[in-house]
Amino acid sequence: MAEIGRVRIRVPSSIKPGDIVKVRVLVIHPMEIVQRKDGKPVDKNYHFINRVIVTYLDKEVAQFETSQSVSENPFFTFSFKATEPGVLRITFLDTHGGKYEGTADVKFS
Amino acid sequence: MERGQSTGEITRRALLRALGALGLSGLLVPLLGNPRGVSAQGNLANLGPEEPVDATMKRLFGSRPIKDGTASIKLDLPLIAENGAVVPVSVDVSAPMTPQNHVKAIYIISDKNRRPLNAKFSLTPAMGQAYVGTNLRLGESTEVRAVVEMSDGTLLQAKREVKVTVGGCGG
Repeated sequence: MAEIGRVRIRVPSSIKPGDIVKVRVLVIHPMEIVQRKDGKPVDKNYHFINRVIVTYLDKEVAQFETSQSVSENPFFTFSFKATEPGVLRITFLDTHGGKYEGTADVKFS
Repeated sequence: MERGQSTGEITRRALLRALGALGLSGLLVPLLGNPRGVSAQGNLANLGPEEPVDATMKRLFGSRPIKDGTASIKLDLPLIAENGAVVPVSVDVSAPMTPQNHVKAIYIISDKNRRPLNAKFSLTPAMGQAYVGTNLRLGESTEVRAVVEMSDGTLLQAKREVKVTVGGCGG
C-alpha cells in the first residue's frame, strides 16, 4: 500500500502541433468498497478517489468526478488538443484529503 | 445551566434516551431514520447515494427529455465481462468541440449498481475530441448507459447490456 498515489501518464511519443492526442493515465489507489483488504468491513469514510483534474498549459481542460464504481488502480483515457509544448498535469484527489499529481511533458517532434 | 436550558424542542438524543429507558427505542427507528444507514453512507452522501437508477436519472436530469444518441455516441463495452471488478468502458462522441457547441459532460450510469452514477466527466472545448475511457466495477449483469450533455443542454443517451460472470462490487 506504500505505493498509493503513484501516477503514470502515457502520451504518444510523436505529436504534431494541432494533433488530438489520446492520453492514458493510471494511478495506484485501492478505491475502497465495502471491505478492506484484511476483510474487516468499512463502516464509513471510504477511501477512494472522487475527483480528477486535468490541466494543460496551466488551464483546466477537464474534471472527472468518480465513485467507487471505478476499479481499483483507476485508469482513465481521454484526449486533448496539443496546441503548444507544455506540461500536462493530472491531479487526483481522494476522500481522505490525499492529493496525487502526475505530469507529462508535451513535446513536438 | 446551559445544557438545562429548555429550547422548547425535544432533541432526538433526549428522546431516544428517554425511550431507551422504557425499552421502546426500537419502535422509533422507522420514524427517525436508521442512524446506521446514515453512517454507512459516510462520505458518499454527496456523491452517489444508494438509489434505484430511476431516482438517479431524475436527480441528475430532472424532467429534461433525453434523446436517443446511438448514432453519435460510440459506447465501447465488452458483451460479456468475466470479472466485474474491471470492465473497460470508453465513450466516444462524434460531435464538434467548438466553444459554441461542445460536449459539456459525459455521465456513465450502470443501472443495477447500488450507486448507479459511476462517473461524471466534465469536458471543455480544449479537449478537441469528446473521448473518455475508464474501468468500471459492475455488481451484476446490467445495462450501462452513457448520457451526454451538450453545451446547449441537449441530452443524448446510448445504452449497452453487459453480462457479468463474477460481480465486482461485493468486496
